[in-house]
Amino acid sequence: MQGDTAASRHLASCHLCFKLADASLHHCPRCGEALHLRKTNSLQRTLALLVTACVLYIPANILPIMVTDQFGNATDSTIIGGVVLLIDMGSVPIAAIIFIASVMVPLGKLIALFFVCWSVSAGRLKDPRQRTVMYRAAELIGKWSMVDVFVVSILVALVHLTGLLVILPGAAAVAFAGVVIVTIIAAESFDPRLIWDQQDKVNE
Amino acid sequence: MSELKPEISTGSRFNPIWVVPVVAVIVGLYMVIHTKLTEGPEITIQFNTAEGLEAGKTKLRYRDVDVGLVESVSLSDTMDTVLVNVKMDKEAEGMLRQDTRFWVVRARVGAGAISGLGTLLSGAYIQLDPGTGARAKERNYVGLETPPLTPAEAPGVRLTLHSDHAGSLSEGDAILYNGYKVGRIESVTFDVDKKILIYGAFIDAPYDELVNENTRFWNVSGVSVNASAAGLEVTTGSMETILLGGVAFGDLPGLPPGERAVSGATYKLNASYSDLEENPYQFRTFFVTKFAQSLRGLKPGAPVEYRGIQIGQVSRILIKELVSQRAAGAGQPIPVLLYIEPARFGAPDSEESLEVLRKSLAEGVKVGMRTSLQTGNLLTGALFINIDYYPDEPAAVAEEFDGFPVLPSIPSGLGRLEQQIGSLLDKFNALPLESLVGNTNTALATLDGTLASLTATMDSLQHILAEDGTQALPGEITDTLAELRKTLSTISPDTAVGQSLSDSVFELNRTLRNIEELTRTLSTSPNSLVFPTANPADPIPEASPQ
Repeated sequence: MQGDTAASRHLASCHLCFKLADASLHHCPRCGEALHLRKTNSLQRTLALLVTACVLYIPANILPIMVTDQFGNATDSTIIGGVVLLIDMGSVPIAAIIFIASVMVPLGKLIALFFVCWSVSAGRLKDPRQRTVMYRAAELIGKWSMVDVFVVSILVALVHLTGLLVILPGAAAVAFAGVVIVTIIAAESFDPRLIWDQQDKVNE
Repeated sequence: MSELKPEISTGSRFNPIWVVPVVAVIVGLYMVIHTKLTEGPEITIQFNTAEGLEAGKTKLRYRDVDVGLVESVSLSDTMDTVLVNVKMDKEAEGMLRQDTRFWVVRARVGAGAISGLGTLLSGAYIQLDPGTGARAKERNYVGLETPPLTPAEAPGVRLTLHSDHAGSLSEGDAILYNGYKVGRIESVTFDVDKKILIYGAFIDAPYDELVNENTRFWNVSGVSVNASAAGLEVTTGSMETILLGGVAFGDLPGLPPGERAVSGATYKLNASYSDLEENPYQFRTFFVTKFAQSLRGLKPGAPVEYRGIQIGQVSRILIKELVSQRAAGAGQPIPVLLYIEPARFGAPDSEESLEVLRKSLAEGVKVGMRTSLQTGNLLTGALFINIDYYPDEPAAVAEEFDGFPVLPSIPSGLGRLEQQIGSLLDKFNALPLESLVGNTNTALATLDGTLASLTATMDSLQHILAEDGTQALPGEITDTLAELRKTLSTISPDTAVGQSLSDSVFELNRTLRNIEELTRTLSTSPNSLVFPTANPADPIPEASPQ
């Protein structure tokens, strides 16, 4: 299974057209894109974005995500407040969906990416396959955590009976969208090849 | 191959990507600090019930603008009140004053109006009235259970009306001037000590000018039906007052309008206009006077007069108080409570007049001022109390009965007459009538004997008169008188006897004159007996100057 990697042969893949070219060339001979062996500053970038996501996660949960203005009487609801309300109403499955999509997924993604970053920087990669699965999962499910933001956007657009019932997005909606977007970018900016680079070193 | 290995830098070199989290943190911190800085004060309002109040949902409003939010609703330590924590907006802090009032706006259906319908759908909210007092650091307030009827800063005048009769007034009832609504009753309380109803009234500007010191208030609630010989008279106020009750006010004819009323002035609320006509004066002071005679005919409302001018009325007879004070003994005088109204005799209708009156009566008692019971009507026996001065009365000791100053009394009228007759009879009884009658009897017996002997004397006298000698007596007397006339005519001046008698008398007169002169000289200068007397020069008459 062990064999040469592109890097070991000093070959770099173009970010844009994926042409394999000599790493000593600074630009892709085919499309002219800047040529790097690995994504530049991948780990730092990912970490910085993860920290940003963590910062944004706090207001996303504290501030109201949705403001329901019913007969001039505005009611704020936070994500957790909405989940608790749904449980009180007996809609446990819906509450579970919202809880998983809005709380567990972003949180799990953050933890997973942090763990992968830490593994790479600390060199603790006894099971690189597991780390890769973790990364893939984080990248995949991250997109689905936008469910909450979508629900709010749709409600705001649909329910607009001025004077009777108006739903307005809260500050947390922006923060939450920020969390999701920043984590997606963080996942993108991580170079999974770093996991295997370590493996190669160990093997050498 | 090793020289072909890429240099992977995970190093410590600063990467511009770190600007992103730093910016996020800065923005977050800014938001937190901004929120903290613009955070308003937190206040606690005490309510009896938390009906309709929800933490995090119920708003605090002023003029329908949100100025705060209920943070929590909890019970007090003693579990008897509800403590509502409200987070105020920063800009609303200036509305917290010493007399700021809070109340819950809910849908209310009253007799006069339906209010707060909007809260049926939106839920209750807490309303705030900033008040006019000084800004306070006070953060604990007691909320009103019912909304105040008038905002604190509304222009007008706040009055207190007190009434001692059962009224049909309640909060929100109209105050009318000539049938036009100019104010309302704001509060109704009952003073347990004085046993009077106290109404808080508010007269809106500009109608507060109509209220002056001599303004009178009367109840116009409901319908007043008065049947008399003149016919049936139905008096009503406006439709609203028939249904809900109300208060009218106005100036009494005959009373000059006084100073304009200030907030907090106190007025008496009369039961009706006719009641007001009977008792037009507001201020009265009470006195007790004690009578040791029958009070039959002395009714509450009987006049109290000073030399025939009514200055007050009898309130009631304090027989119960006398008994309860265990002062009722044999011959103990019965106290009578009476009141005097200074305005009846032209003094201003005010508290100060009462003070002046009390002082002057206390002075008057020292110089013989007394009350007395007098008969007002001989047929019905109705009594009244008269106050007058009796300078002969000894100075009285000032005393009090049941907290009222006592005016000393003297018995008078029928009572006094009775007393005088009584004392007369006593004296009469003391007379020694028995022995007097005995003496008289003896005297009468003696008189009988005397009369008998007198009759005998008269009989014998008649005998004597009937005799012949006696009969001839008048003729002899006539003769004697003729003789006497003849004798007297002999000594008339024409006769010699008469001439000499006249001379003798003239001589005697001259002698007497001389003696008189001698005695005068002797009395002025006794030494003239021994020494010669120089005769004074003859007076020469002088001519009066021209």
